[in-house]
Amino acid sequence: MKRRSWEAVVAGASGLAITLGISFLIAVVLIVVLSKQPLATIYYFFVGPLTNRYYLGNMLNTAVPLVFTGLGIAVAFKASVFNLGGEGQVYSGALAATVICLALPQANGYLGGVLAAAGALATGAVLAGLSGFFKMQWGTDELISSFLISSAVGFIVNYFITGPLDDPGNNLLATFAIDRRFFLMRIFLPSKLNVSALFALAAAGLVFFLMYYTHAGYEMRMCGLNREFSRYGGINVSAYVVLPMLLSGALHGLGGGLAILGTYHMAVKEFSFGMGWNGIAVALIAGNHPLGVVPAAVFFAYLDAGAKAAMLHSDVTFEIAAVVQSVIFYLVTAQALYNALRRRRRTA
Amino acid sequence: MKAAGVLLALVHNTVGIMTPFLLAATGGLFTELAGMLNIALEGLMLFGAFFSVVFAGLTGSLLAGVVLGILSAMAAALLFASITLNLKANVFIAGLATNLLASGLTVVLAFQMFKNKGVVRFELGRLPVLSIPVLQRIPLLGDLLLGHNILVYLSWLIVLAASAAIYRTPYGLRLRGTGLSAATIASLGLRPGSYQMSAILVSGFTCGLAGAVLTLNLAAFVPNITAGRGWIALVAIYLGNKTPWGILAASFVFGLAEAVSNYAQGAINVPADFILAFPYAITVLAMILYSIWRHYKGRA
Repeated sequence: MKRRSWEAVVAGASGLAITLGISFLIAVVLIVVLSKQPLATIYYFFVGPLTNRYYLGNMLNTAVPLVFTGLGIAVAFKASVFNLGGEGQVYSGALAATVICLALPQANGYLGGVLAAAGALATGAVLAGLSGFFKMQWGTDELISSFLISSAVGFIVNYFITGPLDDPGNNLLATFAIDRRFFLMRIFLPSKLNVSALFALAAAGLVFFLMYYTHAGYEMRMCGLNREFSRYGGINVSAYVVLPMLLSGALHGLGGGLAILGTYHMAVKEFSFGMGWNGIAVALIAGNHPLGVVPAAVFFAYLDAGAKAAMLHSDVTFEIAAVVQSVIFYLVTAQALYNALRRRRRTA
Repeated sequence: MKAAGVLLALVHNTVGIMTPFLLAATGGLFTELAGMLNIALEGLMLFGAFFSVVFAGLTGSLLAGVVLGILSAMAAALLFASITLNLKANVFIAGLATNLLASGLTVVLAFQMFKNKGVVRFELGRLPVLSIPVLQRIPLLGDLLLGHNILVYLSWLIVLAASAAIYRTPYGLRLRGTGLSAATIASLGLRPGSYQMSAILVSGFTCGLAGAVLTLNLAAFVPNITAGRGWIALVAIYLGNKTPWGILAASFVFGLAEAVSNYAQGAINVPADFILAFPYAITVLAMILYSIWRHYKGRA
């Protein structure tokens, strides 16, 4: 038994390695086809993010919201609940944090920061929780309802950012900047990396503890494995539709709020685009394991940073990152790829 | 009299606007009946939208644009299908991948070909409009149903054909059987996988055409021009109770919502963002009401 599970882990890891290998290969092919100076572009894409403190720190900083969204998705997927509204939850959490900071001109920096983060967390939790509630109450498909609610909310957030909260003084589609007192401390100058990175690590640890070392976490995972069996075993299964959604939304909202406090300092129109979708990929690469989410998020941030460096220093556009990421999406759940490896190992 | 005129214009516009929803949802119905949640409708539509207008621009022929746009979307559908069916990837995640690939690749290609990541305009003729003077004189019906471009009428034919294929042919019976119980189909010596493959290809075909309707009408490509229409089409399948005629009704409702918001944009002073949010809000509301209705009906 022990041996077999070990084999499964090896097969899983080599399957993942193949997936990532193919995605790198596609990146190289794309660059060779699209770029007039492919060698330089390849260098910037793969090595660029690691060449100096500024790029490296910013890359890690990009990973921070992805850790939160990845954790949010992992929690939901572990309980077999689907939250497709991550985009809107991150974005509205960010707006909530901004609004709270702007509304508190007198507050102490720490207190205001905590309030802003709490508001972001609550906003995300309520948005996702609604879908969980509808599912529990009437069986409304949470996958589609969370997506639709999030899309509608995204436009409303756009309205506030470009309408009532717009700062006419800046030339961006962005709100007024929050006060310096609320800024999270930078920890890797000159990059934008800040203490929210430590919060992200703590969140991963907490979610891990919750899922694997608490009663609620156990019941949640049981519901994820087999809802009918869990009901038979006396677990209140309908609660475990709402709870994972609440948790998932809370993590998304918090991710958005901390991005404002730590990195952006103002809500810029569509600044968080992709954080929600990429969280899904991050969770899947991590096999929905909370501790695996951290390296998976860093990997995703690396792809993003590579594409940005290649765009800045060479002649390709940033969206090649999306193409490479889609390849990972395609292959990361491809059972046949993993099974083929497992079979070969057994016959060998 | 003025109100009646506005209403007439709204419904006339709705008939045009609903076409992409109707087409994408009709193709999505095939995958849905074959037992797959096809969230790739959005991405497939975007492929069709981009390649149809690009090929129309390159060849100077609208027909070639439509055909090649559809083929491009079907090629993307083939990729999606072989990864889900042959590599046994999760259909939902592979669908997300298709959407991500579509939004990334279309921008990469637009940038490469036109050095432009914004709106790309093309010199194209207008889509031919069907006008039958005799019928046009019929009051109401002539005003509402005639005077649209030919792709609108093609979409009606496709719904008819889809309905016939699903309910009147052995293929349709087996397709629905695949969704109900793939094991039963396999026990008959048939391959459920090939029915699922065909369903995904059909969705590629209709989504490709749906995308072509969007861009050829505009003679331009706008990044992410589909703007969630594939998702709304998916909801239309559920609201339409997974039947072609139900889908027609649901698409009409969504088309009307969009037509009303377009009208409101010009007539009433509402922020544009609220209007953009409106179709999603109305869709989720419809979904919730529908599930409440089903919940209590099931109980009674």
